[in-house]
Formats: sequence, structure tokens, C-alpha cells
Amino acid sequence: MNQTLSTKLLAVFPIAVFACLFAYLSIESSTFLSLGTFELILKQAVPTVIVSLGLAAVVIAGGDDVVAGGIDLSIPATAIICAAIIADQLTNQGNTLVFAMTLAFGAAAIIGAINAFLVVGLRMTPLLATLSMSVAVVGLTKVITSSRRIGVTDESIVFIRDGKIMGVAASVILTAVLVVIFYHALHRTRWGMNMQATGGSRDAAEISGILTRRFVVQSFLIAAFAGWIASVFVLARGSGSSPGTEENMLLEMVLATFLGAAFSPRRVVTLWGAVLGAVVVSALSVGFISIGVNVFWTGCIKGALILLVVASAAVATKGRS
Amino acid sequence: MTLQSIFARFGLVIIIVMFFSFFSYISPVFLTFDNQVNIVEASAIVLILALGMTLVVAMGGIDLSIGIAFDFGAAFAVVALKDFGAAWYIACLVGVMGGALVGLLNAFLIVILKISPFMATLGTFFVGSSVERVFTNGGGPISYRRMPQEYRDLAVGDVFGIPTEVVIAAVVCLVYFIALERSIFGKRIHAIGLQKDAANVAGIPVRRYMFIAFILASATCAIGGLIGSANIRMFTPLAGFSYLLDAIAAVFIGAAIHPKGRPNVIGTMVGVLFLGMIGNGLNLMGLDFNLKAALSGLILVGALALAVAQQRLR
Repeated sequence: MNQTLSTKLLAVFPIAVFACLFAYLSIESSTFLSLGTFELILKQAVPTVIVSLGLAAVVIAGGDDVVAGGIDLSIPATAIICAAIIADQLTNQGNTLVFAMTLAFGAAAIIGAINAFLVVGLRMTPLLATLSMSVAVVGLTKVITSSRRIGVTDESIVFIRDGKIMGVAASVILTAVLVVIFYHALHRTRWGMNMQATGGSRDAAEISGILTRRFVVQSFLIAAFAGWIASVFVLARGSGSSPGTEENMLLEMVLATFLGAAFSPRRVVTLWGAVLGAVVVSALSVGFISIGVNVFWTGCIKGALILLVVASAAVATKGRS
Repeated sequence: MTLQSIFARFGLVIIIVMFFSFFSYISPVFLTFDNQVNIVEASAIVLILALGMTLVVAMGGIDLSIGIAFDFGAAFAVVALKDFGAAWYIACLVGVMGGALVGLLNAFLIVILKISPFMATLGTFFVGSSVERVFTNGGGPISYRRMPQEYRDLAVGDVFGIPTEVVIAAVVCLVYFIALERSIFGKRIHAIGLQKDAANVAGIPVRRYMFIAFILASATCAIGGLIGSANIRMFTPLAGFSYLLDAIAAVFIGAAIHPKGRPNVIGTMVGVLFLGMIGNGLNLMGLDFNLKAALSGLILVGALALAVAQQRLR
């Protein structure tokens, strides 16, 4: 009895930690618990949410062992190179947004295809394949931008930055729509179920007649697609493409996605978890700034919190099995 | 012998030779003795970090925080020299201890709290880089231009004409070779990497070995930090991060050369020298900085893909 109680406590521990933290933040800061802050948190979270959707798809199809299972570290790099291509086409070459986006889509598709080939064709460790792809893509981005900032003043991009749909920030609405589409595809369709099965147990899925290799390939293409979509929001947030933004995004993406797993009852990576994780990470940043914590400490606090949550999840899983 | 079996056995070696010949053909300077020494010298620090990584990967883990260990090694040593006027060898010792602290945190997270190495060392990376920022008030370097000559010599001195950093890297390499490839300790580390549960059943104190290995790896990376800080006479926060990918890549290229595809010390050394050669050769070709970044990235992907393809054909 005692055992089960402590297991139950451990299960809600991650959520409890963050609930306490947010309660503290709202008491300390008069502005934290307001609609404006909430919108700011969501707006800040947007690009991370989208790339986390992509990563969640890869993890769902590849399994959640971080080294041997599915992981795609090249999504932020994909977003950055797409942003660079779009910015370069719009500002330097004077092409239309549609043309620029199509070109960027092609680039993203190639990156996704190479990732899929390396992982499925050559059976390379996803971690290694996508990490090295990320480096190559960041290098190519430097060639496109000459490591310079390229400003963008296109109307549609500015609308995504400043516009509102029914009184809510356009970027938040668009992202919400995207989340719903992803959720429906991955959690509510036969195709999505097959993909979940592939990640859950590759062998069992194979025996049931699921073409597992195809689903893993598709997951990497989805990830590249998410990178492509995210690039528009990256452009909007920075009013153009800036060099060196991918590292922070990479860390936030991995954090958000695996933090999300700690929130889920079965401790697996889910789409909702990834979205929630991204919002929580963003809320922490905004919250700490609003109570005036030294900005250099926030990384440390974030890191420690995440370790705390992941550790409690690890202990809880052990307790149940 | 079919073409396929030749590729399976020597694929990566052929590529290395091809690049070597290509650079020799393109640049008259590449083949000179001085330039070859340059390559080896420039690879010394990467080799030391990659060896730490080899130990962790051989044990079935991964360490994303080697850069932090590198930085802590540099920071502890420079502060010991500057603020406490420590002798150079004391500073070295303090630096290595600083690095070991990072390993201690990793070991605690992974062995005691049972967090996966990837997440644990990523967390260490976050916490460590934040601590570095706070300590340096935002990321400014701690410079100490009047450091003792003995400490400075770690990077610029020489032993019987051989650059000191190469000698240090060679010694670390030898120690790692004996420890990992020629001792019971190494056999057990490899056993843990191959089959952790089996190793446990076979009576290997898995947890103790993992604990020690993570600390050893970080302490090794701190040695790289000592050389780095001696070279530029300062501690630069977050400088170690740039070595992470090269270290990982070298370990996996090295594993591809191994007959059984295991991470190993000699392979890592070959991998590090290969990456060093590419960097050096692209520099000599006088390419634009941005183009060089793109090319070395593409070559890295190609080399790793080839290394893995080669393993699969066996």
C-alpha cells in the first residue's frame, strides 16, 4: 500500500514541481498571471513547438531510446537554412514569397531524404546521422548568408509577427492549427497508429505486417517538413534570418520533447507532451525574467529542473516495473 | 577478392589516402614536414577529448558535456594561477579536479539517479554553461597574460623538439590504449558497452565501473582545457563546445575501422587525424571561411556514411 502511494506521488511529481513553481512565479510577479504574459509565453514558444512536433514524430516512429531509437537533431538547422533561403530570395534576389518558400521546401525535402537514407538505408545511428547533417546544413547556411543577417520586410511575414486573428496573435493561432493537424494525423488515423506501433516495438510491428522502414522514412520527412514550417516563424520572430540561432533552438527542442515525456503517464514522447514541454520551457524563461532573476542563472535553473523531472520519471518507471 | 569485400575492408582507408593525395596535389605546402607537424599539433586537443569520449562510448554511453569539462579544466587552472598564485603543477592538478567535478555530476545523474546518459549530460551541459556565464558575469574571458612559463609551455613548449601538447596527447593516448585495449579494466568496460545485463550477471561491478569511467572521461577532457588555456593565456567560457562534434565523429569513424565495429583508441586517433587533415587541407586551398564550413560539414557526413556503410558490408 505504502509502495503504491509513493509510486503515485512520484508519478505526479513532475507536474507538481512545475505547478508549485508557477504558483510561486505568479505570487512574486504581479504581471505573470495575466493574459498578456500568457500570450507572450505562447508567442515565444512558437518555433520550438513546431520543431518539437517534428522531433516527436521521429521519436514516435523510431522509439524513445535516445541513442539507438529515433532522434533528429537536424530540424533546427533545417529551419535555419530554410529561413536563410527565403530571406535571401526575398531580399537579395527580389523573388516572390511563393517562389522562395518552394525553393526552401525543396531544400528541406532533400535534407529529410538524406537523413532517411542515412538512417534507414545505411542503418546509421540517428543521433550521429542527424548531428553530422546538422553541421553540414549549418555550413551550407553560412555559404548562403555569408554569415550575415538578412532582413525581411515581406507583408505576410510581418503579419505572422504582428498580426492578430480574432484578437489572438496570428503565429499562435497558426501554430495551434498545425498542432491539431499533427495530432489528428499521428494519434487519430490508421497511418498514425501504424507509426506509433513502429516506434513501440519494431519487431512486433514488422510481424503484424507494417512496413516499418517506410514509416521511419516518413517520420524524417515529416521532421524536415516541420523545420520548413518553423522557418517562417523564425523569420517572423527575428524579422529576417540571423546567423547562429540554431544552437539554442536545438537545446530547447530536445528539452521540450523529452520533458514532455516526463509529463505523460506512460513516460513516452507524445505530441501533446512536446507542445506542453515547449510552452513550459518558454513560461520558465518569461517567468524568471519577470521576477528579475539574473538571466545567466536561468539556464542553470532550467537544466536543474529538467534533470529533476527526468530523474523522478526514471525512478517512477523503475518503481512500476 | 571482390570489389565489395575490398571496400568493406579498406573503404575508409582508401578515402583517407585519396584526400591525402588530393591535398598534396592541390597545395605544394601540404606535404611539407612542417605542415604535417601542424596537423598533428592542431589535433592534439581534439584527440584528448575524443579519447575521453571513446571511453564513454565504448561503455555504451555518450557524453555531451565534454566541452564543459574542458572549460572547467581551463577555468579552475587559470583561477588557481591568477587569484591564488598557485604553482603551475598545482594549477594543472586543480584543473583536472575541476573537470572531474563535471564527471562526478554526470556519474551521479546516470548511475545513482538512472537518467539516460544523453539526457543527463545534456542537463550537465545546460547547468555547466550557465555556471560559466554567471562566474564570468556573462561570458567574458578571464585573461592571465603573466602566467608562469612552465604552464604556458604546456601549449607552446617542446620536449626534445616535439611540441609539448603532442607529447601530452601521445601519453594520454598510450595510457588509454593500455587501459582500454590491453587491460582487464578495458575488457570490462567493453563488456558493459556490449551487454550491460550480461556484464552484471558475469559479476562485473557495472555501476562502479560506470561511475569511474564518467569521472575519468571528464578529467581527461580537462587536460585538453589546460592546454587550450595555456595556448591563449586565458579561459574563454563555452570554448569547449566546438570540440564536441569532432570528438563524436572521430570516435565513430574509429569504430568503423575496427574489425568488429567497436570504439577503440587507435581508430579514434585515425579519426582525429583524418578530421585534422581535412581542416588543414581546406585551409591551404585558401577557400572562403563560409565555404570551408560547408565543405567540411559535407565531408564529415560523407565520411561517417561511408564508415557505417563499410561496417554493414562485413
